[in-house]
Amino acid sequence: MNIWVVFRKEMLEQWRTYKVLIVAAVLFLFGLTSPLLAKFTPEMLAAVPGLPAGLTDFIPTPSVADAISQYVKNMSQFGILLALLMSMGSVAQEKERGTAALILTRPVSRGTFILAKFGALKVTFAGSLLLAALGCWYYTYLLFEPLPWVPFLLLNGLMLVVFMVYVAMTLLCSTLVRSQSGAGGLAFGGLILLAGLGAFPRLAEYLPGRLFAWGAALALGVDKTAWPALWVSLGLIVVCLLAAVLVFRRQEL
Amino acid sequence: MEKLIQYLPYLIPILVVQLLLMIVALVDLARREKTRGPKWVWALIILFGELLGPIVYFIFGRVDEN
Repeated sequence: MNIWVVFRKEMLEQWRTYKVLIVAAVLFLFGLTSPLLAKFTPEMLAAVPGLPAGLTDFIPTPSVADAISQYVKNMSQFGILLALLMSMGSVAQEKERGTAALILTRPVSRGTFILAKFGALKVTFAGSLLLAALGCWYYTYLLFEPLPWVPFLLLNGLMLVVFMVYVAMTLLCSTLVRSQSGAGGLAFGGLILLAGLGAFPRLAEYLPGRLFAWGAALALGVDKTAWPALWVSLGLIVVCLLAAVLVFRRQEL
Repeated sequence: MEKLIQYLPYLIPILVVQLLLMIVALVDLARREKTRGPKWVWALIILFGELLGPIVYFIFGRVDEN
């Protein structure tokens, strides 16, 4: 059986378990609310009755930069959280239920099994991010000004890379551990570790999180790159997937 | 205040997506024979949990029927 068949089965499974719906809805909603909140919050503050007259001068006028930073902040938090939640069960649950053994009795290699899962999750996240990007772009256009769309799409592409780092990492955890919650906990540990390392400015240059800053700068037309972070992120994805396949090959189901 | 009211139409798509999630969750709950924990509690969570309610149900409430 080729990878395409297994991939289709994975997509169907994600649809059936509402994963596609969850990721698409959450990311799309934050795509819409981010520019809206950026515009709305200062005006809501200004509308508070009884505010001393001088204070309203200090409330900043919302700009398109606020909309972008709000979008990147929300996506970085909820996208990563979803990456963990959607991937933690993918291998562990099939081992728990015994369906992994069932699938692997057919001519499917264990590498195919893992890679099809990664591919299906990638499609879900890419599609949802595209939906969110369209929503965010349109609301930013209505509330502020049109953003140049190529840099804005690049921002979303960079965010997708970060999400995929966490999907790959969680898939590895899901392979290492037998239970879904164990995999989630382990992946959360990895998340904390990366966040902790990011506290050191020197190290942060090389960590996936830096891609958010790069993307935001791109979308706003600021000249700032983070190529090392991109290479490290892509490297992490490959290493995690490779490790997952190697571990899974030696596992008894 | 009029300034704030002019933003109300922007909320419509957001409410539509939330409503859609809620309906899909409720339909799934109604069809399911068994959930993790009592069904009526999940119905309340879906109805009053805003965005989070249906999602928490989808992730944690459903048990596999295999």
